[in-house]
Amino acid sequence: MRSRADISAQELALAAALLAFASCLGLAEATMLPPFPVPGVRIGLANVAVVIALVTLGGRWCITISLMRVVVVGLATGTLLGPVGMLSAAGGAAAAGVMLLLARSRAFSVLGVSLGGSVAHVSAQLVVAVLLSGSTAPLLLLPLSLALSLPSGLVIGYSARLLLSRLPSRSLSAV
Amino acid sequence: MTPADRLLLVALVALAVLAVPITRLAAGSSAGTAIVRGPDGRSVIDLSENATYRVQGRDGEVVLRAVAGAVRVDSSTCADKLCVRSGALRAGRPIVCAPNGVTVVFGRVRGGELDAVSR
Repeated sequence: MRSRADISAQELALAAALLAFASCLGLAEATMLPPFPVPGVRIGLANVAVVIALVTLGGRWCITISLMRVVVVGLATGTLLGPVGMLSAAGGAAAAGVMLLLARSRAFSVLGVSLGGSVAHVSAQLVVAVLLSGSTAPLLLLPLSLALSLPSGLVIGYSARLLLSRLPSRSLSAV
Repeated sequence: MTPADRLLLVALVALAVLAVPITRLAAGSSAGTAIVRGPDGRSVIDLSENATYRVQGRDGEVVLRAVAGAVRVDSSTCADKLCVRSGALRAGRPIVCAPNGVTVVFGRVRGGELDAVSR
């Protein structure tokens, strides 16, 4: 029988691996892929790791990994303490929170959870853009942002589902 | 996909489609002038003149270039340069430089002066 300490160590190891995975994906996207010309809209590759964390480790780790990933990528790109860091943190927190709520409802699959997270990410960043600019003009980008975030959410959801299907079943836990 | 997934997808697509006419109405259309809003205030630029305008943002300077009735961001000190990549201002598609807190939309301001924009 595994002790509580063993389970915690296993969780910690998986969480660290997922944080590293999320940070690598986030850095690769930030430095190598051209961003969409709309604030807040991106493919969100790092969200693959966050969705996997939600399914395998639960909500607490999902939110922790999402926010820690923002810190790691922000430190690496030098944007942590600026407005870009605020946008990233708001998007990451909103996405993790909405994904957690959707997952806890047990009505949605990984695809629906990812879709909700992608839309929450974009919406939160538009709200922060409104606060930063003191203008409601960023909200005019809502239709375009939504239209671009939906395929992103589906792609991330399918990718997470594919990777989850390769994980040993004992590392999967209920949300 | 579960039924809830499909319902969520349909609802979000419907929201995106419904938001188009609403934001188009709110955005207005080109009236020959554009409103620039930055941390230091709001200003109007005349799009009929070819000119370069400098706006002081939170993180540095945003340079706008008005040419042939269109305006676009020429350069910006922000990290991601999304405002530069977003191209010319269009109805329903404002220019937003979120890191610098600068937005540009079509419109007029009564008695508007170039108080926050230097040419």
